[in-house]
This record gives sequence, structure tokens and C-alpha cells, in this order.
Amino acid sequence: MDLSVVVPVFNEELSIQPLYDAITKSLRNLNLEYEILLIDDGSSDNTFLNAHNLAVKDPRLKVIKLKRNYGQTIGLHAGFQNASGKIIVTMDGDLQNDPDDIEKMIEEINKGNDIVLGWRYDRQDKMISRKIPSKIANKLISKLTGVPVKDNGCAIRAYRSEIIKKFPLYSEMHRLLPVMTALSGAKFTQIKVKHHARKFGSSKYGLSRIYKVMIDMVALKIIFTFFYLPLYGFGIFAMIFGILCLITLVLGFLQILLYPGTSLVTIMGTSLLLGSLSFFLLFLGIISDLIYQNGDIKIERLLKNRRMNKKIFYSFRRSN
Amino acid sequence: MDKKIDLSVIITLSESIIYDNIAELYYAYKKSIEETGLIYEFIYVTDRNSPSILDELFKLKENGEEIEIIELAKWFGDAAALNAGFEQSSGKMILTLPGYRQIDEAELPGFINSFKNVDMLIAVRSRKKDNFLHRLQAKLFHSLIRLALGMNFNDLGCIVRIFSRELLEKIYIYGDQHRFLPILANRSGFKIKEYNVAQYYTTMSQRVYSVTHYTNRLVNFISIFFLVKFTKKPLRFFGFPGILIFALGSLLGLFLFVQRTFLGVGLADRPLVLVSILLIVFGIQLFAIGLVAEIIIFTHSRESKEYIIAEIFHAEKENNSKEKEKIEMKESIKT
Repeated sequence: MDLSVVVPVFNEELSIQPLYDAITKSLRNLNLEYEILLIDDGSSDNTFLNAHNLAVKDPRLKVIKLKRNYGQTIGLHAGFQNASGKIIVTMDGDLQNDPDDIEKMIEEINKGNDIVLGWRYDRQDKMISRKIPSKIANKLISKLTGVPVKDNGCAIRAYRSEIIKKFPLYSEMHRLLPVMTALSGAKFTQIKVKHHARKFGSSKYGLSRIYKVMIDMVALKIIFTFFYLPLYGFGIFAMIFGILCLITLVLGFLQILLYPGTSLVTIMGTSLLLGSLSFFLLFLGIISDLIYQNGDIKIERLLKNRRMNKKIFYSFRRSN
Repeated sequence: MDKKIDLSVIITLSESIIYDNIAELYYAYKKSIEETGLIYEFIYVTDRNSPSILDELFKLKENGEEIEIIELAKWFGDAAALNAGFEQSSGKMILTLPGYRQIDEAELPGFINSFKNVDMLIAVRSRKKDNFLHRLQAKLFHSLIRLALGMNFNDLGCIVRIFSRELLEKIYIYGDQHRFLPILANRSGFKIKEYNVAQYYTTMSQRVYSVTHYTNRLVNFISIFFLVKFTKKPLRFFGFPGILIFALGSLLGLFLFVQRTFLGVGLADRPLVLVSILLIVFGIQLFAIGLVAEIIIFTHSRESKEYIIAEIFHAEKENNSKEKEKIEMKESIKT
């Protein structure tokens, strides 16, 4: 299997048929062995039934029904776990992505990239409620993490499957996937993709998610920069506060010598507090180190066998 | 075991919690369960420190009753006992019953028979004859859950529940979380229904709970609340107050710094300095704890069972394409 197209859908009964048509039409002329995975994320409408009816006729279509609505990340995760293609392409189920872009993305993977991200340069969404917040968020994210991703929210992406299957995916991590993979050393590129206005249904996301995305991003950045050696990461901060503690302590003694008889409560209190913070962080570092040692995901091993597969490219040719 | 068991009845008993006359209750339960015509087994779980309960159970056994007795070395709470009983059970359905009369046992056959197309059925007692205080407290408790978690339950205190085997295989409960099992099940996507029953009320009015009972309940509730809301993203929970407190302390520090340098107000004898530093330190501590929690989740995320696949459908290539094949995933995919 060369390619798996993973599409999480939630209450998209009207989109299923056009989505299926569009994907099969774009892939028809590529000489590829592919499968389409539709993940029904606990829809309450006829999404599963419609997908099921298509799947009866086409063995390339696989439908996975989740027990309830878990959100997009889990939908994608279920898709990745069940995908057997060497390349995995993810898409939105609302027809806003164009499957014609898949071909370009596969070409980029063939050039040696691990991940190809879509970039909606001409986005067809509402200006104030969607485009501006997302622009700000993308700017902030690339500043914060140092990974210049232009469009973190674009759902059409292509991954080498051996890489993406190793990454932890939980909560709302799918938005952080590009940053996470880039931070751990994966090679990524971005290409311009087409973006259509919504035809059916309404958008399912609101403005409120910015805090969540930002804080998740901060956590990820810290984990990936400092805490693959947790004791080291916490230790740096413990040292900083330890030094501050010593400085204030010295200042306190100077005060005794220079201004005898004045109150020492403030300066000594400050010194004590900083000292206790220093120890607190050191001990947290030790605990984190224990946790990391016993955990089963090691950041330094996420991409360990990436060079082994340098030569295996997924050749395809256009046949007319 | 040679015969196939439909229903495993698990009853947890300890001298540290209330219980009624065991034999009397057993015969009452047995009689009403026999009405359903199902093949059943009774499993009693108790602990070593409850000799009088053990005595009574063995007396039942000597009288020829087929009951399974599990003795725990120590009482670790309802949920732990339930798990121990569950491991021993072999029925497709699990029925948990309280060691004291919560409902009229004549309701049991109807209750068991209406367990269809759902993963869990909970008995809800009508509280008409309960006293005012108990009713108020139950109302408060359930509105708190509705408010905090957005889940609508009406009687989590009632242990009379029937559920599929699959449910307890996937949900791990411990300590006294027994009563919160429906909440955790709901979160994992299991279908839950409630069933109204009449309350057995003669002993109800005498029961008075101790203060520790309420504090335990509160602690349990907080742990469940955290579990449901923030387990996957602890920094969202710790980060916000951490950042807020840190910012407050920094602002206060800035204010003091400005006073000191530009207005010439001395700092040596001002407790406000300590408040500022304390806030900064506390903010950093909260954030750091959140980070540690985040590291725990991140490095262990592959083990966590987070979702359940209901069904995978695809037509096999080799077979006739019209032939349907359904694959029921027996186990949730591990993350």
C-alpha cells in the first residue's frame, strides 16, 4: 500500500459522497495503490450509514466508527493506527481542502521530506472570526517555538507513516503535530494548497481555543527544549534561583555591616524564599527524571530510524 | 466452570461500611434474580478484618448455597473490592448490589430485563419518602456534577447497577470511586441509561453520615473532576493560576521598584516586598508542577486507553465486494 488518505468526519452526512468522489477522481490517474479511511467521530446523523453504503461497493474505502465524539485528534489517531500506506495524507471532511493537492504533496515527500504541510494562502473563511485570530496565533506560535509554520490549522498534510505513527497524539495535539515533529528533527516543507468555502454545514470551532493552543504549545516547547533531560532543565532554573538567593544573602550581610541596627526581615525573607524555590525546582527535576526514565516515549528516540529509509521512495507516474 | 454464566452478581461487604442481615438479603436477591431465568453467580467480596461477615457467608455456603467468597487482606475501598470480584467473575453482564437494602428487590427482575442496547443501566431511587436533609444533599451533589462536568445523573449513590463486562475491562477505578463509575464510563463513550425504582425506605431515616464521609466524598469528587477535565492537558489547569499569580507578584515588585528608585521610599521594613516575592515563587511552583504533570502524560501517553472503536467496516478485496464483514474491535487501541 502506497498511500492512505485519512479523513476524520463528524456530522458530515452531505459531504461524504462528494468527498469520496473528489478523492477518487484526484487519485484515479496516479498509478498508486491507495486506501481511504473515513473515521466517523461519533456522528449523530447519517454519516456512518452513507459512508458504509459507499464502502460496500469499494474495498479501498475503510470506515471506522468511534464510540462517541472524541475530537479531531483522536479521530486522526484512530486513522493513523489503522492506516497501512507508506504515506499518510490527512484531510478535513468538510470539502474545504482539495484532494488535487495530494499529488504535489507526494512529490514533496519523494524529494526527501518527512512531512508536507498545506498552506491556505488564499483562505476562504470569515475574516474577523477565523482568519485574523488564526493569523495572530500562527505568528505567535512560530515566534514562540522557532518553527516557521505558516498555517498550523490547515488539515491537508502528508506524512511518512513510519514517522507519524511514533508520535504521541492525545487531547488536541493534532494542531501541534507540525511543530512537534519539527522540534524533534523531522524535515518539513510547506506548499500552497487550494481552499474552498464551506458548502455544507457550519464550522465547528470557535475563538476560545487560542488560550488552549498557546499553553499546549508552551508546554511542548519546554518539554522538547529542556526536558528530554528533566533534571538538567529544572536544574538550570534551580541554579538561577540559588544564585539569586546567595546574592540576597550577601546583600543582607552587607546591610548588617554597613547599617547595623536596621530591619533584616525583608532581605533575609526574600533570600529564604528564593532558596526554597531553588530546592523545590531541583527536587521536581529529580522526580521528572524518574518519570522520564520510566516513561515509554523518549523524545530522542522518536525519529531514530529516519535515515534508514532514505532510498525508499514512493514512485508513481501519471497515466492518461 | 462448565455452565455458561449470564449474570455475575457482585456484592462488596465490609464491617467498616454499613450492611444489613447478609443471609436475609441474599435469599431476597436470589429469589428475584431467579425470576429472570438467567444463569447467575453470586460473588461476595469482603476483607480479613470483617470476621462476622465471613462467618455469615460461610454459614450460607454450608447451607449449600453456591456463592463465591473473596477475602481481601485489607479493605481498600468499594472500587478495589469491585475489581477483585470482577476478576473472579465470568458473566457477560455484571450486576452490582449493595450490602444493605437500597431498593425493593421486587424491582430487580424488571431492572435486569430492561438492560438492552446500553452499556450500563443505573437504578434511580424515587426519593419521595426520604427525609428532607437527604433529599437536599442528593440534589446539591447531582447539580454540582451537572454544573462541573455537564453530565446528567440523578442517583450516583445507588449501587444497584448492571453493566457489560467490556465496561469494567476498560475503565480502571480505585479507592472509593465506585459511585463515580458512571461518570468515567460516560467519558469513555459508553451508553448509560437510568431506570426508576422504588426506594426501600424503612431504615433510611436512621442513617446519619459522619463528617469524614463528606470530606471523603469531596476529595473523590475533586479527583474525578480533575480526571475528567484536565488529565490530558494538566498545564492548562495549573498554568493559568500559575501565570496569573506570577504576574501579580511581578506587578507588585515593579510597583515597589518604582517607588524605591523614583520616589525614594525605603524597602527594608516593608512586608509588601515579601508578599511580592512569595507570589512570584508560588506562581513558578504552580507552573512547574503543571509541567511535571505534562511530562507524565507525554511520556506515558502510549499506555493510556483513550478511545474506543465501535466498528470497523470495509469490504474485503478478495471476497465478493458485496459481502459485508464487520469487525468488532474487542479491545480499544492503545495510544
